[in-house]
Amino acid sequence: MEIKGSRIESLRKDLSRLLGGGKVRTEPEDLLAYSSDATRYYAQGKPEAVVLAESVDDVCKLLRYANQYAVPVTPRGAGSGLSGGSTPIKGGIVLDMKRMNKILEISKGNMTARAESGVVLANFHRAVEKERLFYPPDPQSMDVCTLGGNVACRAGGPRGVKYGTTPNYVLGLEAVLPDGSVMNTGGISVKQANGYNITQILTGSEGTLAVITKVNLRLLTLPPDRKTLIIVCDSAQLAAEMVSRIIYEGVMPSVLEYLEVGAIWLMNTYSPIPVAQDGQVYLLIELDGTAAVIAEDIGMIKSLSEKMGAREVKIIEDKKQADGIWKARKNLSPLILRIFQKSISEDVTVPRDRIPEMVRAVREIGALLGVPTGMSGHAGDGNIHPGVQLYEITPEMEQKAEEAIRLMIEKGIELGGTISGEHGIGLHKSAYIEKELGKAQIELMKRIKYAFDPKGIMNPGKIWTEA
Amino acid sequence: MIGDLEHYRGLVEKCSHCALCEAVCPVYLEDMLETHVARARVDIIYQTLYKKSMPVTPRVREIIDRCLLCTSCTQDCGGAVPVHEIIITARAALYGGRRRNPLRDYFTRTMMAKRGIKGFPAFMLAAAQKLHVAPEGFPHVSLRTFDSLYHGSYPPTGKKRAKVAYFTGCATNTMDVETGVAVMKVLGHNGIEVVIPDKLMCCGIPALGEGDITTAQKMVRNNVAILAEQEVDAIIVDCTSCGMMLRSETAKLLPADDPLLAKAVALSPKVFEVTDYLNTIGLAVEPGPLAESFTYHVPCHRGWTPTLNEAPLQLLASIPGLRYSAMEEPEKCCGAGGAFFMDYSDLSRGIRKRKLDDITGTGVAVLISQCPGCRSDLSAGLGKGWKTAHPVTLLRRAYGL
Ligand SMILES: Cc1cc2nc3c(=O)[nH]c(=O)nc-3n(C[C@H](O)[C@H](O)[C@H](O)COP(=O)(O)OP(=O)(O)OC[C@H]3O[C@@H](n4cnc5c(N)ncnc54)[C@H](O)[C@@H]3O)c2cc1C
Ligand code: SF4
Ligand code: SF4
Repeated sequence: MEIKGSRIESLRKDLSRLLGGGKVRTEPEDLLAYSSDATRYYAQGKPEAVVLAESVDDVCKLLRYANQYAVPVTPRGAGSGLSGGSTPIKGGIVLDMKRMNKILEISKGNMTARAESGVVLANFHRAVEKERLFYPPDPQSMDVCTLGGNVACRAGGPRGVKYGTTPNYVLGLEAVLPDGSVMNTGGISVKQANGYNITQILTGSEGTLAVITKVNLRLLTLPPDRKTLIIVCDSAQLAAEMVSRIIYEGVMPSVLEYLEVGAIWLMNTYSPIPVAQDGQVYLLIELDGTAAVIAEDIGMIKSLSEKMGAREVKIIEDKKQADGIWKARKNLSPLILRIFQKSISEDVTVPRDRIPEMVRAVREIGALLGVPTGMSGHAGDGNIHPGVQLYEITPEMEQKAEEAIRLMIEKGIELGGTISGEHGIGLHKSAYIEKELGKAQIELMKRIKYAFDPKGIMNPGKIWTEA
Repeated sequence: MIGDLEHYRGLVEKCSHCALCEAVCPVYLEDMLETHVARARVDIIYQTLYKKSMPVTPRVREIIDRCLLCTSCTQDCGGAVPVHEIIITARAALYGGRRRNPLRDYFTRTMMAKRGIKGFPAFMLAAAQKLHVAPEGFPHVSLRTFDSLYHGSYPPTGKKRAKVAYFTGCATNTMDVETGVAVMKVLGHNGIEVVIPDKLMCCGIPALGEGDITTAQKMVRNNVAILAEQEVDAIIVDCTSCGMMLRSETAKLLPADDPLLAKAVALSPKVFEVTDYLNTIGLAVEPGPLAESFTYHVPCHRGWTPTLNEAPLQLLASIPGLRYSAMEEPEKCCGAGGAFFMDYSDLSRGIRKRKLDDITGTGVAVLISQCPGCRSDLSAGLGKGWKTAHPVTLLRRAYGL
């Protein structure tokens, strides 16, 4: 069936009748607000309606309607994605999930939690930590991004090095299929061997298969203590080598960030960082565990740093100061824009021992093309976020930036890495995925997509480019 | 300059669309609609007033109006996008200083120039409040104003340690005279000479909020000229919004060729909120005990000095027996937003509701805050049994002054 007449007007009328007027917006200003995620440059079209779901029932009704009339639906969390994933490039309906923000259960006995998918990650952290429980995934957008968005993109963060990323904690999901039926995948058992792992197929599905409405997550106990330290290195090579060595020597930091001096300098303008500002690369580290274990780890890091020739190891004793540094780290992407007009943060991830090669390659690519590049990220798991920054946006610079990104991605694949460690594919990487995964896998993905969503209404145009 | 669209073009374009402001915008958190978060507001201003790719519709006005100017987004923005200044500038462009009905505009323009509601209007308002026809949460006016009690110079008791000028805001002048008296007594007791300069006007923040740049400039010019003449170590305010205005916005309101600009810039670092000042120079006299418990609401307009947040707590920690019980989110907005609580009362009440729950959860019955607007609106919400006060009044009592 097709909608006749003006689609925006029809959607407004039909959806308001179906869901109640307060949950539907179609004014041009609202459509603009929902046209892009954190990568505004990928905004290529506006939705024709925005729906603010408040219950599973709302989602079911909406999907049944959209499926019947073949209207595209793009699920949306906070719109903080960095791949253009929640941009509705084919128009249709953007489904804002943030009003579904209740934490339903935190079980100390089972060490699991169940929550609606619109819960903001930082609120979830606070709630479980009150019970002395711990949910490690920590994408740096945690103050706004949603659990649903995290699951849909397989989000990670600095703590990934020790604790893994979102998929390691997803035990089960409630999801609504495009035909409006509700399914509960997985469960709350920490081990499951019950047929195809549909939970993990939805994890990383980027809104292209179903709408995730509830998540069951595994929890750990909260480490009793944590400490922040910074290692100042005079060369990128040394810093990259230290990353592998620290871990090899048996210290597993909960966070191990690789930050170039420019990043430290910017962060210092946001919150004071008490280290020399003329190093080359800084390793920002957090250790967690009991005080005794942390003290032992610090001893090990200090002696290793001395042996390998690092300039300084600074322990941040003041908790407030440490919090300030981590807050500045969270704000690094917007901070970069204080200097540059545009910044594209890449997400290529390489095996840890290939970091030095990647660092060299990224510098060479920048020099070759004459574009500023930078690298700051989660080195502990090989996800050092190489990026391109532009002082001004001109067609020529944009083209160079695109070329630089392409070369970085190809280098990443060549080094045995992946094109995306945590941001997902969305629009940004859709041209490269076949290169990494091969045709056969993409064809299989398309068949899986068809099985979930035969009419192709769910977030169309993402993950792979259409022939 | 605030009000100059071109000046803000580059800053508007700086917004990275990172979405991190979703965590702090009280209006967004209540409406749960992304159109009302700073990221979208800035984009809509960009499309309508700069690129002119979209017309200015009533919905655009609503998006620009439905903002508390709380500055939470500006304070947190890693990209240093001065969102509240952009919104004020957009209001100036849209309304040219006539955002409200003539009576309201008269209020911000004329009455505030005289620093608050005095004389006959004060009498009328007091009558309206007696008859319960004034808006709930509107502060009670005092018929005896602060400036009728104090003017000129007040030498300290004991050894003189410093000399300050006290900029008394409109609220203290006409509604919360008790706070003004406490400031005078506590400063004097601590060896600080206080001057009350004559002919000061409102700091200009209410006019600025309306996008009425001309009126705000008039007030600012008047105040800068007077304050620059004072030979003092510091300029003290008790109201964090007056302080923000004097310290960080005044200079931004003067054009580059204005002869007063240099004076405004020179004044800025001298401006302190009273507890912040006392905490910086230290108390000369130890306060006596107070067997009470209090909680502390940190006003949103706190970003203009880094120490303002903690100052009352550090200062009051010197009072033996006084106990502090923290809210879960002491920095969360109360929703009052100057006159916002009258224009968007449902929304404002919704924001206040969360704050009230947090306050009552502390189990105490005394609330301190350095913003008279927050105090008045929260006090109306809390009802009987609660005392709301400026932190300096606790100090006054501890001194037995
Ligand atoms: C400053 C900043 C720092 C960041 N740091 C990190 C980081 O350290 N690590 C990291 O991994 N990412 C990071 N990100 C990227 C981003 O925040 C994450 O990808 C996050 O998981 C996105 O969540 P969201 O709620 O904003 O989802 P959105 O951006 O709204 O959506 C992302 C994708 O998920 C889909 N989706 C959302 N909700 C649902 C649902 N309920 N059901 C089905 N599909 C859904 C959307 O369709 C879209 O494809 C950062 C972003 C910013 C702006
Ligand atoms: S206003 Fe600041 S915090 Fe908000 S989206 Fe723009 S850059 Fe990010
Ligand atoms: S000033 Fe306050 S209300 Fe206005 S957009 Fe910023 S955070 Fe929201």
